[in-house]
Amino acid sequence: MPDPTTDILPDATSPERFSAFAAPFLRAPEGARTVFLVTACACAGPLAAGVALFGWRALAVTALSVLSCAAIEKAYYRVTRAPAMLGRSHACLTGLLLAMTLPAFVPWYVPIIAATFAILVGKAVFGGVGHFLWQPALVGRLAVAVLFPATVMNPSAWPLLAQNKAIFGDVAQAKRPAVYRQWRGTPAPQGADAFALPHPTTELSPLTRGAEPAYSGLVFPGDWPRAKPTALAALPPIGEMLYGARPGGIGETCIILILVAGLYLVYRNYVKWQLPLAMLAGAWAVAAVAPIQLAGPNNTVETVWWPLLGQHLAGRLDPDLCVQVGFTYVNYQLLGGELFLAAFFLAPEMTTRPVTTGGQVLFALGCGVLGMLLQLYFETPIPFYLAVLAMNTAVPTIDALWRPRVLGARRFAFFRRA
Amino acid sequence: MSPRRYGSFAGGIDLPDEKLGTLDEPIRAPVRLERLRIPLPGRSLAEVRLSVRPGQYVSAGQLLASPAGAGGLAVHAPYAGKAGGLCVVQTAGSDGFAPSAALELLEPADPPALHALSPVFDWRAADRATLLARIAEGAVPLHDGRGGSLSRFVERAQQANCHTLVANALESQPYLTADHRLLVEHGADVIRGLAILARAIGAREVILAADRRRTGEYRELVGPARMYQIARVALPHKYPVGAANVLVKVLTGREVPPGGSALGLGVAVVDPATCFAAYRWTACGVAPSARVVTLAGERLKIRGNFWVPVGASVAELTGGTDGPVLHGGPMTGLRCPPDAVVTAATGALLAINAAQAAPSTPCIRCGWCTDHCPARLNVAVLNDVFELGLVQRARRMGVAACVECGVCSYVCPSRLPLSQRVRQLRRAVTDLNDAMPLFAES
Repeated sequence: MPDPTTDILPDATSPERFSAFAAPFLRAPEGARTVFLVTACACAGPLAAGVALFGWRALAVTALSVLSCAAIEKAYYRVTRAPAMLGRSHACLTGLLLAMTLPAFVPWYVPIIAATFAILVGKAVFGGVGHFLWQPALVGRLAVAVLFPATVMNPSAWPLLAQNKAIFGDVAQAKRPAVYRQWRGTPAPQGADAFALPHPTTELSPLTRGAEPAYSGLVFPGDWPRAKPTALAALPPIGEMLYGARPGGIGETCIILILVAGLYLVYRNYVKWQLPLAMLAGAWAVAAVAPIQLAGPNNTVETVWWPLLGQHLAGRLDPDLCVQVGFTYVNYQLLGGELFLAAFFLAPEMTTRPVTTGGQVLFALGCGVLGMLLQLYFETPIPFYLAVLAMNTAVPTIDALWRPRVLGARRFAFFRRA
Repeated sequence: MSPRRYGSFAGGIDLPDEKLGTLDEPIRAPVRLERLRIPLPGRSLAEVRLSVRPGQYVSAGQLLASPAGAGGLAVHAPYAGKAGGLCVVQTAGSDGFAPSAALELLEPADPPALHALSPVFDWRAADRATLLARIAEGAVPLHDGRGGSLSRFVERAQQANCHTLVANALESQPYLTADHRLLVEHGADVIRGLAILARAIGAREVILAADRRRTGEYRELVGPARMYQIARVALPHKYPVGAANVLVKVLTGREVPPGGSALGLGVAVVDPATCFAAYRWTACGVAPSARVVTLAGERLKIRGNFWVPVGASVAELTGGTDGPVLHGGPMTGLRCPPDAVVTAATGALLAINAAQAAPSTPCIRCGWCTDHCPARLNVAVLNDVFELGLVQRARRMGVAACVECGVCSYVCPSRLPLSQRVRQLRRAVTDLNDAMPLFAES
């Protein structure tokens, strides 16, 4: 029997306290791999719409992107002999996200090079999962946007399969249609599977960039609601903007499925609802307020603020219709680009967004405002992706500065007690 | 129970409800125990005065050891038996298990208890000083794991001018049902004990806080509670509503400053087991010898709630199950060392299939730890701070406010030991503040 007088030790550093087997002894079932895989499953919705609208080439781009991401990740672990912690599932997710941002008509080497940049520059350089600063898929997307000329990545006309050629058509065989009013019911041009159409944001750009001073602006020919303002006449109807029959990246166009998948992620608590909402609100506010440039009398350029209100149409239209036209313009600015995909899939990437809710709102507002300004006033091909990457850079600062009030701490204290 | 609605708190989580196995089981006497090893209070044997010799037969309730100085705890024999020698056991404290001297009690039998004090004491008529003296005489420890004696607690609460006394009957962790059963079966005594403590402390407002799902079973308490003007508050079971600082925030709307105590706000928090022991001691003169312990978990053959005497061996109670046995709730408990014994702080002994040993992966910054933290700490950033070893930064982030509920580790999809890391940071910050109090002000 031990002697109690000597064996009672006031042991302040008992190893039991910090052992691996310590409370809590229950764990929530959801692991990081589940998070990645569920997000990947959510990506399948917009991607399926992309395959329907852009044909087998969309599927090929997706497969190339995912496979090369996985292969490069595996090769990286093989070469560096680093332990593959969550690497492969995250690489597959990155490949899917990357494919969603790419157009379907790009040559085969583009997704491979994008995947190389995404994995090596976007992720591996920083130390793998959980350590990167910029969203890796966007790093890859930016790299190919910079590396390849605009004729490859951002041509003046983007192909879109005709309705009768959906899923099985080839987007490489595209022709500019003589008559294109809307996707539904319009057959493919002779000898081609796809229409060649300008990107919606390109179509709207003369309004804000003042590229054509003589541009007639948002003037109505004919009667509302059948007629549209001339700036919007070349654009698809709003319904097609929602279900995605318009030029764009593979996963960018189908707003409805992006919303469904995004709301599922919100339901699973992988995305906080505040983040996409703040991003959309920021972009919407900028589009509603930021000035457009219209042709004035005597070949002058008139700058009009608050396009949402449509006041520039005041003399020419019924006041109610003015607001409707302005509202349509703002919504086209939101729906025409890659904003929704960025808001629900790319900006909420866990590692590259702030941790706290307030920080996320700040971050998302920055993304939305910056992205919409880029889309309106700068000749950049992927404005919202650039905005997300720019705001990713600010995330460590936001995390350091945005501190919720701790339980029991005073909100404003000159002398802080720890 | 009460029409008044109370606030909630940020964060927290709904844990799976695993109580059903033992919830409706009445409290039973344990199986026959081989021997008891009754831990002696104090850090060394110099602080206690033994009243029995080895080999001497003692009767139940007989004084075994008394404190050498003032303010210590006296130890009474829970069962009759033969006093053995001294030995060393492991007892749970607020910092984990620590070795403690213990007195062996062999051949424990269970005859009717002798009264340690005179059972004739009309506490309703007694004035406060008499009541305090009666409590201070005694051997009642705090039963909620904080350690220490009830008389010391009452003294501190009195010095802090506590105006509110809260009985915390919210067993918000899974598996725990001991306090619930105690309230169901001996609820009136718990209420009386609470009234005694309120009288001793001088609290004007007394609250019994219980789980909203269990209020139907506490209907019998309404009468006694009205009699002593105790407010009954039913709260939703979002974990960790049972943590003292969180409960104080929910009930009073005031927040305990980081590193401080609820006593500083004039709120004292006790648990039902302590109230029950206080009643038995003060009004009946019976020394606390046993407490209700929940034995639960998939690996146990005999589950339920038991009156377990202090000093019973954990290994004997759990029937020698292989694998770890947990002391306390599954979220905040400790792993029992081999020679652990039951003390007043033992609310449960669980042999569950603990989810562990999954290797942790890098933090993906999902932020769920931060979202669910009831103290609103940015745990994800604290994890970085831990990895970089920046104690000063942790102090500025308010790590001392941690309530050690374990929710951050629970939700972490990367299986990081977050609560351990935050606890370690908190300890480092406390040491730093103790070492350099002026520096801590800045």
